[in-house]
Amino acid sequence: MAEPMLRLDSIEKRFGEVDILRGVSLDVQRGEAVVLIGPSGSGKTTLLRCINMLEDYHAGSVSLDGAPVGYRLEGRERIRMRDSELAAVRADIGIVFQSYNLFPHMTVLANIMLAPMKVRKLSRDEAEARARDLLLLMGLADKADLHPAQLSGGQQQRVAIARALAMRPKIMLFDEVTSALDPERVAEVLTAMRQLASEGMTMVVVTHEMAFARDVADRVVFMEGGLIVEQGPPQQLFGNPAAERTRQFLGRFMNAEGRTCG
Amino acid sequence: MSVALENLPYLLRGAGMTVLLSVAAAVPATLAGLCMALARRRTPWLGSLLDGWLFLMRGIPLIVLLVFVYFLLPRTGLDLPPFWGVTLVLAAYYAAFMSEVFRAGFDALPNAQWEAGRSLGLSEPLLLFHVIGPQALRVALPAHLNLCASLIKGTSLASVIGLWELTLASLEVVERTLAPFPIFLSAAGIYFTICFALDRLARRLEVANG
Repeated sequence: MAEPMLRLDSIEKRFGEVDILRGVSLDVQRGEAVVLIGPSGSGKTTLLRCINMLEDYHAGSVSLDGAPVGYRLEGRERIRMRDSELAAVRADIGIVFQSYNLFPHMTVLANIMLAPMKVRKLSRDEAEARARDLLLLMGLADKADLHPAQLSGGQQQRVAIARALAMRPKIMLFDEVTSALDPERVAEVLTAMRQLASEGMTMVVVTHEMAFARDVADRVVFMEGGLIVEQGPPQQLFGNPAAERTRQFLGRFMNAEGRTCG
Repeated sequence: MSVALENLPYLLRGAGMTVLLSVAAAVPATLAGLCMALARRRTPWLGSLLDGWLFLMRGIPLIVLLVFVYFLLPRTGLDLPPFWGVTLVLAAYYAAFMSEVFRAGFDALPNAQWEAGRSLGLSEPLLLFHVIGPQALRVALPAHLNLCASLIKGTSLASVIGLWELTLASLEVVERTLAPFPIFLSAAGIYFTICFALDRLARRLEVANG
């Protein structure tokens, strides 16, 4: 099999005395959309944040496209990357947060253009062209000159997606990006994500949107207690989960689906 | 009031010195305050050192500090002209308070802003310059402005150690004319005008940036 785009190998993470991740390994292939599900506190968001070192991990390794993220191994010693090395790696990893985290003092356009100009060294014209293309893609072409506070939550979240995409990342991470949105806004963000997945973007998505997981994921991973309990194609996981715990967690969702579909 | 008018040019020359002294002290105080606020984010042990300094500055009246340095400095062999001695004291005194104001500005920003910038691959300097700095400074500006006004008025204490500026100039005129009311009223008006102009300027900057 080809080298995976993302490889997580035995990631361990503690907050104080509490083990959050207890040796999680996961490979994500190029173009694959992996959705992480699980109860609150299962470690899925922490795992996502370890991928770009927003959370430091205590053991294990992360590699993106074959190159290490966060720590280099020299002999048996783990050496933490310098800030500048880390910045270079992070430029290839797009992440979208639950609370959008746009820069409130900049226009929508400036939010999207900043990193391509300063990190990728694009000219202002190139960066602006790229930003406007992405805004068009996200259905926000007329919002370029507004400030984030003038947009709805769903619009802000789509700007955040555009901002991450403007760096042409190798992988996109989504951390419960629809949790802060009202139901009407959820659909517009999920549509944008569906489109990305269909275009072959490698994605890791943490979500509680089970219908999205079922429809868009190439693989669904169920986590609990800092471990991967079960993973597989959505049909298998939702249709015939192997682990009792997965069945229990998905029970309510599957019953609800049964009622609406059946 | 003719006494005041006659002596206005002399007072205005004193005011010129006041402005010069204020700028000479406020610029390094602001820069040092900013650097200290940034440095303590990265270097925790520096925090307690700066806290100690802040407590000291908070607990000692500016005039005591000025007189102390005025008598102490020549003994150390460092013979600074009075202008630079006063500038040094004012800058060191207000830098401590300004570092707190800027720290509050940085702390007011949610951590998510740092995370969003970092995850786009921005280096720390780029992040500070484009994302964190502009937002933190906007939060800190009103309190910083208060400190600048306080510093401008604080320069009047330099008169005690004989540095000629607006207050000392006023005292001289009063001695000569025996007309304290119009002269000190003029001095008060000039101080007010300087502080008011600063306030207007800062607000204009704020609007231009916002």
